[in-house]
Amino acid sequence: MTVTLPATDYSKIISCHNVNKWYGDFHVLKGIDLEVSSGEVIVILGPSGSGKSTFIRCINRLEEHQEGDIIVDGITLSHDVRNIAEIRREVGMVFQQFNLFPHLTVMENVTLAPIHVRKWSREHAEEVAMKWLTRVGIPEQAQKYPGQLSGGQQQRVAIARTLAMEPKILLFDEPTSALDPEMIKEVLDVMRDLAHEGYTILAVTHEMGFARTVADRVIFMDGGVIVEENEPLPFFNDPQHERTKLFLSQILNH
Amino acid sequence: MAESKLTPNPSGGQESVPPWRDIRIIGIFAQIAFVVLVIMGAMWLLGNVTDNLGRLGGFRCPDGTSSFSCGYNFLKVDSQFDISESVIDYDPSDTYGRALLVGLMNTIKVGVLGIIFATILGVLAGIARLSDNWLVSKATGWYIDLMRNTPLLLQLFFIYFGVILLFPPIRDAIQLGDLPVYLSQRGINMPGPVFLPSFATWLAFVVAGIILAFVIWILLGRREERVGKASNRAFWVVFGFFTVSIIGWFVASNSNKLDQSFMIAKSERILAFTDLADNMERRLGAANLNEIDLMVEEGELTSEEVDEAAYTLCVISESASEVNFTAELRRLNIPYTVNRSTRPDQATAKYAAGECEIYVADTVILTGERPLLEDPFAQAIVPTLERPVRISIPEIEGLNFVGGIKISPNFAALLIGLVLFTGAYIAEIVRAGIQSVSKGQSEAARALGLSESQRLRLVVLPQAMRVIIPPLTSQYLNLVKNSSLAIAVGYPDLFAVAFTTLNQSGQAIQVFLMVMAAYLTLSLSISALLNWYNKRIALVER
Repeated sequence: MTVTLPATDYSKIISCHNVNKWYGDFHVLKGIDLEVSSGEVIVILGPSGSGKSTFIRCINRLEEHQEGDIIVDGITLSHDVRNIAEIRREVGMVFQQFNLFPHLTVMENVTLAPIHVRKWSREHAEEVAMKWLTRVGIPEQAQKYPGQLSGGQQQRVAIARTLAMEPKILLFDEPTSALDPEMIKEVLDVMRDLAHEGYTILAVTHEMGFARTVADRVIFMDGGVIVEENEPLPFFNDPQHERTKLFLSQILNH
Repeated sequence: MAESKLTPNPSGGQESVPPWRDIRIIGIFAQIAFVVLVIMGAMWLLGNVTDNLGRLGGFRCPDGTSSFSCGYNFLKVDSQFDISESVIDYDPSDTYGRALLVGLMNTIKVGVLGIIFATILGVLAGIARLSDNWLVSKATGWYIDLMRNTPLLLQLFFIYFGVILLFPPIRDAIQLGDLPVYLSQRGINMPGPVFLPSFATWLAFVVAGIILAFVIWILLGRREERVGKASNRAFWVVFGFFTVSIIGWFVASNSNKLDQSFMIAKSERILAFTDLADNMERRLGAANLNEIDLMVEEGELTSEEVDEAAYTLCVISESASEVNFTAELRRLNIPYTVNRSTRPDQATAKYAAGECEIYVADTVILTGERPLLEDPFAQAIVPTLERPVRISIPEIEGLNFVGGIKISPNFAALLIGLVLFTGAYIAEIVRAGIQSVSKGQSEAARALGLSESQRLRLVVLPQAMRVIIPPLTSQYLNLVKNSSLAIAVGYPDLFAVAFTTLNQSGQAIQVFLMVMAAYLTLSLSISALLNWYNKRIALVER
């Protein structure tokens, strides 16, 4: 099924239409529709098992959706490896467990993809890497190995690694969930800066403060569907659905 | 009582512990007990050995006394048995010592090649086992299960008696496509390099090239650090190495006159190597030797005429000069036939008797054949260009193959058996290693846009290596030790030769001590090498 987009929709950097996914018999995503404008910051909330992580992982094909269309920056995600490769070049992802390459130094972690995928020269890649490491505040750790860094530092390296590929879209999959409380702030600060810089961001997170202050839109998912979406203020102050109210009361009142 | 034990004792609780409960004293006592047991065991074994030596008369010197070194005098005695294949020169008049050395080198040969091929097979099979492709993954699974669940000895017998010995005899040898590779009962004959004497000169240049490459690498690295700007290090390293190697190739080809092969021809017109071509063109009435095939096709020339005109060469079979000379003739498309002799005097006799018109010999042999140079028929002595390495191609001649390299059926059976068997175990180790790398690593690699092969090569395999190396080491050791099953398929490895030596000389303990020492040395070397590598790739943690 092909979807012809109206001309105005070119500002939509991500378009998802009726995305369905099953794990065996289990229906994880039940007809997700979502349009994301360029530069928009979206926070996805939801209880565990609601399909929020699965959904953003479909966007760069870490998970395969079985029905519906996902169009990223004008490229339709299909079984064509070239399309997948092109989309992955535009979409960066930061993981809960950082997933830094432990056998490579911080510098090598950040330059690996630019050198092998973008085919940059080592000098250029290292220059760019240094710029990003400075931006996330850890240029002095460049020659260390991931195992020698704290969790917060590792997550910032992971962000620098993603940014070095110069993506337009950033996916954050619970980036602060594996961090000690005092390290969460350093990572959120970096994310906040990126949001202000015009990156398109989709973040799955439980950081309500971040959602409230940074997000353009908050999406609440449960049971594989988008239950409610709204701007942060009305979303938090005046949730419409019972399920949303219950969720918010559980996480906000403890 | 129970309460008093638990009561903390503020005034030096340490002293009040009775010795049989003091962990430090228990530790020391256990060590002493262990050492005593080991010493007792060793003394018992030593006593046995001494008894047996006394009974068998080993370690006895000619003057009636007994000493350790005298026990090994038998190594200097002629072995008087033949060994079917050898890396170095050997015949029955050589000593037992040399026979054992031949065996050791044969073991090393099968061990090194076995390790290389088993690793390649194992890594590929390990990756294939994890393939998304159902057929590839299942087929690999069957291979691994078959190999791991049947005895190696059975597999060796099957490959040797059930496969290789059922190949056709030489005259019906199976050729692999159009390649000059032949399978027959006598093993595998295939093209291989022949190292001519000037190879040594070239090798010196290659070594110099490697040293130069290292120096360039280090110097440019220092300069980069000083200037703070990256230079094209890899390019200059490769450039330096190849420049020196290529110069060395030409120097070795031209300057080493002493090692060059010479020919003596019966034609006054032949004064240089290229004259051979001119002379042949004249004989055939062809403008260009490259057109011979075309002329035969068009009927201007019959193949009988070409055969008639072909030079006949008297050569010493399998000599460097033969390979060198015929390769040059083939390059110039000059037709020739070869008349081979095993010894120089036979070759010169044939030449003198007029059986051939050209005699080809190494310079060294030639100087020993002075009368030949005074032969009135010998009109020309032409040095030929000698390349350091030539590729020799096997050809069927009568009931045997000439040229190329030959892999005996025994060696082939042993190598294939060891590679298939060990490869299956390595495949499982590689699979486990790959699976030990967390899924997140692959996801991160994919999310960054790395291709599947880059993901494997740059992210997964380097990390899997940490898990793979220790069990891989024991598989390498198993392969080397399992190579002693060679005796079952008649390959003369260290164990097989040692067994014959032992039967003939009766020096059981000496021979076994030597064989044990040899295997121990090989095993420890492999372990040391892989441990060093493992330490190098270990992860840096805080």
